[in-house]
Amino acid sequence: MVGSIGGIVMQFEWFVDWLAGVPDWIYGIFIWIWGLLHDIIMWVWDWIFILWGLIIDNIVFLFMSVVFPGLVFLLFTLIFIVWWTRKLWGRIHARRGPVHLGKYGGLQIFADAIKLISKEIIIPNNSRRWMYRFLPGLLLVVVLVPFAFIPWDPVWFIADLSVSLVLVFAFLTAVPVISLLAGWISGSKYSLIGGFRAANNQFAAEIPMIISSVGPAMLAGSLSLMGIAVAQASVWFIVLLPINFATFLAASIASVGIFPFDAPVADSEIIFGWRTEFSGVYFTLTYFAEFAEQMLYPLLMVTMFFGGFYGLPFIPGYMNFIIKFLIVFFFFTLVSSSFFRFRQDQIVHYCWKYLLPLSMLNVVIAMLAIVYIPGLAPLLAFAGG
Amino acid sequence: MSGTAFARMIVNKYQEVEPKLLTDEKVDLVIPASLIRDVVHLIEESYPLIFPEIIMGLDLEDDKYEVIYIFWSRETNFLCQFRVLLEGATPVVDTISDIFPGMEWHERETCEMFGIDFKGHPDLRLLLLPDELEGKYPLRKRFKTDRSRLSESGLPQPKPRPPRGGDSQ
Amino acid sequence: MSPDILDEAVELWFGPQHVSAHGWATKLTLVGDYIVECDPNAGYFHRSAEKCLEFRTFKQGSLILERLCMLEAFLAEYPYLSAVEQIAGLEVPERAKIMRTIMMEACRIHSLQFWWGQFSAELGMFTMTLWPWIDREYFLDAFEELTGSRHAAAYGTPGGVKYDFTEKSVKVLEHAIAHMESQMPKFKDMILHNPSFKVRTKGIGQYDVKQGLKWGLSGPNIRACGTPMDLRQDVNDPNLAYDMVDWEVPTFHSEDHPGESDAFDRMVQRFLEIEASVKIIRQLLPLVPDGPIVDPKARAKSNRLPAGEAYGRIEGTRGLASVWLKTTDKAQSPYRAKIRGPCLNSYYSLKHLVPGSKFADFIVIFGSLDPYPGWWDR
Repeated sequence: MVGSIGGIVMQFEWFVDWLAGVPDWIYGIFIWIWGLLHDIIMWVWDWIFILWGLIIDNIVFLFMSVVFPGLVFLLFTLIFIVWWTRKLWGRIHARRGPVHLGKYGGLQIFADAIKLISKEIIIPNNSRRWMYRFLPGLLLVVVLVPFAFIPWDPVWFIADLSVSLVLVFAFLTAVPVISLLAGWISGSKYSLIGGFRAANNQFAAEIPMIISSVGPAMLAGSLSLMGIAVAQASVWFIVLLPINFATFLAASIASVGIFPFDAPVADSEIIFGWRTEFSGVYFTLTYFAEFAEQMLYPLLMVTMFFGGFYGLPFIPGYMNFIIKFLIVFFFFTLVSSSFFRFRQDQIVHYCWKYLLPLSMLNVVIAMLAIVYIPGLAPLLAFAGG
Repeated sequence: MSGTAFARMIVNKYQEVEPKLLTDEKVDLVIPASLIRDVVHLIEESYPLIFPEIIMGLDLEDDKYEVIYIFWSRETNFLCQFRVLLEGATPVVDTISDIFPGMEWHERETCEMFGIDFKGHPDLRLLLLPDELEGKYPLRKRFKTDRSRLSESGLPQPKPRPPRGGDSQ
Repeated sequence: MSPDILDEAVELWFGPQHVSAHGWATKLTLVGDYIVECDPNAGYFHRSAEKCLEFRTFKQGSLILERLCMLEAFLAEYPYLSAVEQIAGLEVPERAKIMRTIMMEACRIHSLQFWWGQFSAELGMFTMTLWPWIDREYFLDAFEELTGSRHAAAYGTPGGVKYDFTEKSVKVLEHAIAHMESQMPKFKDMILHNPSFKVRTKGIGQYDVKQGLKWGLSGPNIRACGTPMDLRQDVNDPNLAYDMVDWEVPTFHSEDHPGESDAFDRMVQRFLEIEASVKIIRQLLPLVPDGPIVDPKARAKSNRLPAGEAYGRIEGTRGLASVWLKTTDKAQSPYRAKIRGPCLNSYYSLKHLVPGSKFADFIVIFGSLDPYPGWWDR
């Protein structure tokens, strides 16, 4: 019987061998998993190294574009501008503006922003939902991008392209198109009327504004905002081109859509124009986009006409810029509170009949001045041509 | 033309017109419903800058109504009041809104408050009343507004008041 | 949304929920930017004042009238009181007559200041909204000093007035008037000489006197056309003191279009009205005699009135307001009280004035006619 038992054992020997090798096999699987994990971690770690390297290489740029004079600085300036406008309008109206929250009402805007963000979002049935959610954010982004090209300081600036003036205007031209779209998709007749008026405003006001900016560009001999600012080292362009400044001011007030040219958002005729149906977060975004645009035009005016960062020599360049910006913004607000609202066709009428010929005349005068006045070229740091 | 002269002219022309009051400053005439348009034409021709003040209805009980027209002429300081007596459940009188367009809404209001139909009026929709009061003619004396007889007016019942102040249902 | 949207007729409800629609809903039919048809709809404010008056005593009735137009509370309650006084045979003492007239003119000034603010807000200039309203606060202080209430003060009573002038209340009133006069040149500069205002209002909503009268317009809307139609001088009311004063009806004669008035003219007209009111008040203030402020027989007589009919009228801020009253014998409340509000015809006239103008002019036309929904809806 031993032989038969041995025969049975011998028949299962391959099974026994296999059983003997199972721990090895399990060990092999663990080794394989461990290797896989190791490869993944090394791959992720490599990427972290690459990104960190990128950040370290560009740390200055990132700091400038995110903190100062980039996003964080812009947001705080935006909040300051809203507060300033409300206080200034209050004082013009012989009242006080916000007084309760914070000293002089400084925290009021934070409170308003928090309140608005927490409000219920009501989307009308007739509107297109995904565009309704998407457009206010797009509007804010489009309005905030041109701030990257403003030459705050010879050292502290974010970016400088050789055609940054044109790029800024390209972005600003998109704003009324977004307004028209926003009015269209809101699904209400009042918004539609407001959207059409915004498109009409663009048609009327942006053309004289862009033509008015050609004068400083020609005198500086460059289309970049940094170049225009640098060219005013010895004399500011407001001295050389005062009428140009006036047309640019009028055209930019019309382009932003602030009183007296706020027919697209006339709140006694079409409730709130193309912004009527937006509520909650979306309203906050459009509201801040409007103020950001209002901030952008005085910045452009300071760059092109008031010498940018040149000024008092004992304070840094960006402080000069900010002080001049505040003065121009004060003037901006003052002008806009003294006039009754124009009707839309009257806006088109005035822009095309008065602003446009005047700005073209400015361009011609600037051209002739450059060619024929001999003392002009040495005044400018970049010899114009 | 002074007030008395004008009133005499009308009385001589249309014998059915009864004068109730005749002074130079105020004239009050009772005019049959069929003649109101002619008289209003007369007053418009005699006084080119006459000011139409009121058209109002008056509910004398038992289905008798009066429509009162008041005109004022500033140049001669003359206030002219016409009364038209109407009877019946659905009284009818001609409209004068084509002669004096400003009276169009006065007639519309009289129609919805009293149920007096103005023949020839371009637009007799409800002016001031909400839709549920159409046909109820609230200014008639039989339209009761005390709560005990609310069911007669056809209006929906209000929510029951809580028995004690402070408890709400 | 079809591409021919600009050629189709679009119906737009300038509806009850709108920033500058103070209680009206107008159905506008627009083609492009032009209004083709205008269908005004009243009735959003209707509080059945006429029916309510039939269940109130004669002393309570004036409170309802006051609340029809809160801004001109002193003026609005007068037609009813005048009609009651006519039926009851009450004689208003001299002191009450003059006090009534003074307070009515002060109310007129304050109501016009409110209108400026509202009209400027509708035109998009908030500076000129708040400046008149701040000066209006001085008038409201004067009303509060006299009666204890800023707006609807229940000042009048059949046969006289309820609150007597004190030295302090007269001083506060004089201070309000002096302050306003000092601000008038500034207002004139900001509004009348402002080129954007002229551009916005000249030629808008133009009509001539005959058309205006046919539509039933009265008050400053007709006086701006050059016709001095003013009940204060045309009719000698024995219960008011306008005949004691030497004044001229404020009338604006336009040079561009004599006999017609547009929105700009109506604005100028209202400046002239304020100047006339100030003149009246200044002349009347020293003339206030001593004496009772209410007819001594008023208490007995104004409880139950004899049968009669009366028609009381007043030149309100917005036009001619009146109350036709009928009483039965020994009644405690009127049999029928019909209230005529001047703004009913203002709102009606939009049907004819507005078609043909641009959409943005609708609010200019309507605002320049000084609408107040309490007066047309009652």
